[in-house]
Amino acid sequence: MVEYTPQYYPGSSPIAANRRKYINPNYKLEKLRTISDEDLIRILGHRAPGEAYKNVHPPLEEIGEPECPIRELVEPTPGAKAGDRIRYVQFTDSVYFAPLVPYMRAWMGHMRYRGVDIGVLSGRSPLEARERDLEKVAKELIETEIFDPARVGIRGATVHGHALRLDENGLMFDALRRYQFNKATGEVVYVKNQVGVPLDKLISLGKPLPEEELKKRTCEFRVDGIPFRTDLELIQFIQRIHMLRTEAGFNPEKVKNM
Amino acid sequence: MSEERMFIEALRRKFKEAPEERYTKFYIYDGWKQSKRKREFVEIAQKIAKERGVPFYNPDLHLGGIPLGQRVLMPYRISGTDIYCEGDDLHFINNAAMQQMWHDIRRTVIVGLDAAHMVLTKRLGKEVTPETINHYLEVLNHALPGAAVVQEHMVETHPGLVADSYVKVFTGDDELADEIDDKFLIDINKEFPKDHAEQLKAAIGKRLYQVCRMPTIVAMTCDGATMSRWAAMQISMSMINAYKLMAGEAAVAEFAFAAKHAELIEMGTLMPWRRARGPNEPGGIPLGYIADICQASRVKPEDPVWVALEVISMSAVLYDQFWFGSYMSGGVGFTQYATCTYTDNILDDFCYYGADYVKKKYGGFAKVKPSWDIIKDIATEVTIYGLEQYEKYPALMETHFGGSQRAAVVAAAAGVSVALATGHATAGVNGWYLSQLLHKEEMGRLGFYGYDCQDQCGSTNSFSWRSDEGLVFNLRGVNYPNYAMNVGHQSAYGGIISAAHGGRGDAWTTNPLIKVAFADRDLKFDFTHPRLCFGKGALREFMPAGERDLIIPPH
Repeated sequence: MVEYTPQYYPGSSPIAANRRKYINPNYKLEKLRTISDEDLIRILGHRAPGEAYKNVHPPLEEIGEPECPIRELVEPTPGAKAGDRIRYVQFTDSVYFAPLVPYMRAWMGHMRYRGVDIGVLSGRSPLEARERDLEKVAKELIETEIFDPARVGIRGATVHGHALRLDENGLMFDALRRYQFNKATGEVVYVKNQVGVPLDKLISLGKPLPEEELKKRTCEFRVDGIPFRTDLELIQFIQRIHMLRTEAGFNPEKVKNM
Repeated sequence: MSEERMFIEALRRKFKEAPEERYTKFYIYDGWKQSKRKREFVEIAQKIAKERGVPFYNPDLHLGGIPLGQRVLMPYRISGTDIYCEGDDLHFINNAAMQQMWHDIRRTVIVGLDAAHMVLTKRLGKEVTPETINHYLEVLNHALPGAAVVQEHMVETHPGLVADSYVKVFTGDDELADEIDDKFLIDINKEFPKDHAEQLKAAIGKRLYQVCRMPTIVAMTCDGATMSRWAAMQISMSMINAYKLMAGEAAVAEFAFAAKHAELIEMGTLMPWRRARGPNEPGGIPLGYIADICQASRVKPEDPVWVALEVISMSAVLYDQFWFGSYMSGGVGFTQYATCTYTDNILDDFCYYGADYVKKKYGGFAKVKPSWDIIKDIATEVTIYGLEQYEKYPALMETHFGGSQRAAVVAAAAGVSVALATGHATAGVNGWYLSQLLHKEEMGRLGFYGYDCQDQCGSTNSFSWRSDEGLVFNLRGVNYPNYAMNVGHQSAYGGIISAAHGGRGDAWTTNPLIKVAFADRDLKFDFTHPRLCFGKGALREFMPAGERDLIIPPH
């Protein structure tokens, strides 16, 4: 097989560069904050801290799986091995310079994590996985540069807010007010879990990133940031895909000289 | 185009802050109580709940006690008008004009008269003259609403309940039209601009068509498939009466066959089993038909953008609100999904921007043949313009707070602009799909699944005519497989077809008979100004047909 180096994403702009960076699993996401395992579990709201994982089937070792080449090829994730149930974490990314946008969240997740099922909508990106795998993934998604406590929300339901203006503290709207801005500390504090059930302990996710820092890390084009129309390479790439699909469906090799 | 965007005034009315302001306050608006309409809902619901003893509408149950209205419940301006209303007023259940638009379409069938006349003259040796035609039409205007013409001791419908039912005729033959009594005639020369009238008459020729309007109350209580049966029965009976035939002689079967099949033109075709509905239901109405049913082109043929926007509003209500929002999905429906295309002058602004761009760069409408350079240039420019407006005006972004709304509006403007430039509807819809791909990469997000699935593969089918994969664009609709889940798209698709033909100066888009059938001043809904009509419905100033006051207790 010809050796192939993934290019991840086209484009000549800093936004395209950020997209390439986040999708590339060899790039180590910069850690900006710490959330304890217990606090993460509280925000996810699927089990209580210390509570055992619920199983939907016995551990694979006990089942005695049938012979199957695919099973031999694919190493089960720890959650699958243990028989964990499938649970979720869901994020809403504001249009105002949130580090990630839904498609990048999905492509990044698929490139970096195994055993995840990621959805993409305009205002939310659900990620489902076996519970212990989910917790590991969610921890990285919250602790690193692709999260900002003001412009990214952890929301299982009632997700509206990505396109709304920001509140007076720069926070994205959340009808359930799962998080609040602590003016004394300048930190964003979660008071409810991702589906809006009040927490018995307030959980700080730290200070919002400054606007300039967000602009550096974002992978969203904006006319008041880096405008899309400045990235001609990306625009022409998209136009070419469109022309190839139009002329040849999903057999672009049939089109010559385009 | 002026520096002031067309949507700015509406944004100022919607929000306290300037449209350019990125920050606001939330959670201080007293929830649903900020809305006059919601307060009315609660007041009436509490009274009804007391009367019926069963709990009823209670917005405090929302989200376990967190009511709607944590942010501003914004009003909406009906585009192209000065009418403002609340979002609730645009739900089709709350808007009598929307209901009447649909009922006026559903209760219409066109039936050619030539086959019947041939049977009368060549088989039965009867004479057919303008006088006999006028007499027949008088009889049918008695019978069509639900009256007896041949039988004895028959029950009939109350004329007061079916007052909106009648039959009219039209022809492309000026001499024959002159002989038809004015009260039965849709006069093409009077209703259309001169050049449109000439086009239509040439297409229709000497044939004679009757337009049958069944009563709205029938449209409300039966279904679309009822209409051709209702019309055929009354047409056959009226033929017997008017031409003194034997009831049941073999020729009568020919009249019934002609009225039910051979000469019948329905507004919508039968749906496949998986979405089963009869004819004359929204799902079977081709996009090109809705573009022809809209009559805005008779009013301002010189402004095909305005015409397309009027078509878009009708398509949004019919396909997105009625069909997808209720027939297909059930529940409260997709109102805000659809209203984004006909409120707050947003799509208007984007489309007129595209039209100006086309005029300046390509010297006018329908001046260039479709090519990759044209489609890429126009669709890309209009898409980026639209997206930049959302980014420049946070109030605009908040107005279209769902990605599907933005995806519909931006791509609609791109598609309409390409269609205007080329006079080619398929090129227009191809521009729509390029817009969707650009939008997805620019924002890194698009809409719901219907955008993330169908719009990613739409490029591939836009020029396809292969069975079950493609179709001539004018004949597509929600009955076309790839559009069967396409909420929020059909409105624009109707507009793209309208813009292509409007840009060329065509009198109709798909079917001249449909265009003429709705050039009828006696229809309850004003098809020349659909947005204004919807606005009147929102203000509760629109009087529909089909009311039952005559047969219910005083109230």
